[in-house]
Amino acid sequence: MITKPSFFIQLGILTKRLILRVLRRPLAELPNIFISAFFLFVYDGALGGVFGGTASGTPFDFANGNFVNFILPVSIVSASLSGAASGIYLVEDIESGVFKRYQSMPISRWVIILAPMIVGAIRVLLQASLIMLIGKIIGADPAVGTVGFLIVLSLAFIWGMGFAGYSVAAGVKSGSSQGAQAATFLFFPAIFLAPTFVPREALKGWLETAAAYNPTTYVIESMRSVMVEGWVIDVLFRGYLAAGIFAAITLFFAVISARKATEKA
Amino acid sequence: MLAVEVKNIKKTFKTKKDTVEAVKDVSFSVEKGEIFGLLGPNGAGKSTTILMLTTLLRITDGEATILGSDVATEDKSVREKIGVALQDTGIDNILTGRELFFSTARLWGYSTKDSETRTNELLELVGLTEAADRRVKTYSGGMKRRLDLGLSLVNSPEILFLDEPTTGLDPGSRRVLWDEIKRLRDRGVTVILTTQYLEEADELADRIAIIDEGLVVAEGTSDQLKASIGGDVITFSFSNKLDLENAKKILNDCKQEGNDLRITVQDGAGKIPSFVNELTANNIEIEAVSASKPTLDDVFLKVTGYRLEGSETSTKSEEVFGENQ
Repeated sequence: MITKPSFFIQLGILTKRLILRVLRRPLAELPNIFISAFFLFVYDGALGGVFGGTASGTPFDFANGNFVNFILPVSIVSASLSGAASGIYLVEDIESGVFKRYQSMPISRWVIILAPMIVGAIRVLLQASLIMLIGKIIGADPAVGTVGFLIVLSLAFIWGMGFAGYSVAAGVKSGSSQGAQAATFLFFPAIFLAPTFVPREALKGWLETAAAYNPTTYVIESMRSVMVEGWVIDVLFRGYLAAGIFAAITLFFAVISARKATEKA
Repeated sequence: MLAVEVKNIKKTFKTKKDTVEAVKDVSFSVEKGEIFGLLGPNGAGKSTTILMLTTLLRITDGEATILGSDVATEDKSVREKIGVALQDTGIDNILTGRELFFSTARLWGYSTKDSETRTNELLELVGLTEAADRRVKTYSGGMKRRLDLGLSLVNSPEILFLDEPTTGLDPGSRRVLWDEIKRLRDRGVTVILTTQYLEEADELADRIAIIDEGLVVAEGTSDQLKASIGGDVITFSFSNKLDLENAKKILNDCKQEGNDLRITVQDGAGKIPSFVNELTANNIEIEAVSASKPTLDDVFLKVTGYRLEGSETSTKSEEVFGENQ
């Protein structure tokens, strides 16, 4: 007996398929986790001595004595960029012809686009959680308490969805895995044209201007506020707003690109 | 009701610099329960035709119906009635055969239990039960094609589209797939397949349309097409180029292929002596002569002016007619 499956059942089937694919290629997941953890250890090791507890009472005491709290958001944001793999999943399906098979079946074309984005978001959640666990072990202690970890995680999720949308749009538009890979180049300006190592007030000249226009700045500052300072609602709000707007814009472009890709020639 | 009815469909691709007419004018109809073959070389427009009929490409002009549903306006209805195995349709290599069948069955709307049953049925049908729990990347080319065929059958389609189903397979695997396709026809499934192999079209298709440069240039059963040649084919071989050139002047309507001249006549065997006498009377030395019934290869040569790659002569031959035709 055949009855047309609902949108959500279709989405569940295709999402499960991609999760199986991720689980069966675990080595592909390791570099991003490793890089994020590496950032955390290296930055804490290199800069923790200067800006950590010994900076107490000096102008460099922006971490309130705990540099792990200050630098953890950078690692989380870098982990959340793993959402950028979503475009690769889709492009692999286009290149291998799996995409065409689904197109020839009476299933929603949106499901084909949404499934890799959901898997991207799940990866972001898992990777960010793992980095936070490592951060906790080496001394992270949010100023607002444990709920601070959940706030950071939620920001990472929205930010990761934004990158997933960007990646899908770039992947579908380029139509090749190289194109989708090349699009991850955005990682560098996103991370480093921001108050990565010091507060924004310490940035000077062109970098200060670039950081002001980089949405990553507001996401990192928002995460830092709950980790280092406590409840600073306007900063927190700006972080969610920046991540939300970024996600909305990239999702919009993903939808437009996907619509063009699924349209009949 | 016809299974497939195609009337004057065209497909034009526009690029920034150019307009390409991939399909110029294709019409044919397919009865329920028959195997219909679209035969032609690469770039003839076969695959584009299939993509249009399976709703994956928009038809530029003309119309087509699948079991009464208009391909252009009722694409969802069409997709529910058909199974598709395209030349470049992908298979998820990292999943197992069983997982692929199961997830495809779920996507078609089978319940979990029915999906398991359908999976087992299809694994059995395409002979992959033993390999069911292996990842597809470990399958041979032939096994992947059988898997692909099986996946296109999950929804028990009334019409099956197969785009070059045996391209790249060894003769043994090709034979296995042919048997599968014939079995499907015997179970009432209408099959439309494209091929560039003459032998495949001859062996499988109940009717054949020859497509060349986006046009249907001949259509009929294999026997009808061969009969359209109008007799037997006599082949004269020459070892000397001068003899060949002189023979061309004597043999009306002959076609040259390398060092051979081919001529189509009624009662080929009976006519050989008179041709040989005439040539030898003109001091032309014949290396060999033979008469044969026309093949699809001959039909293809007649309607397109060249041979299909992979056929006997394998290259586009120069068409030369006798001077006194």
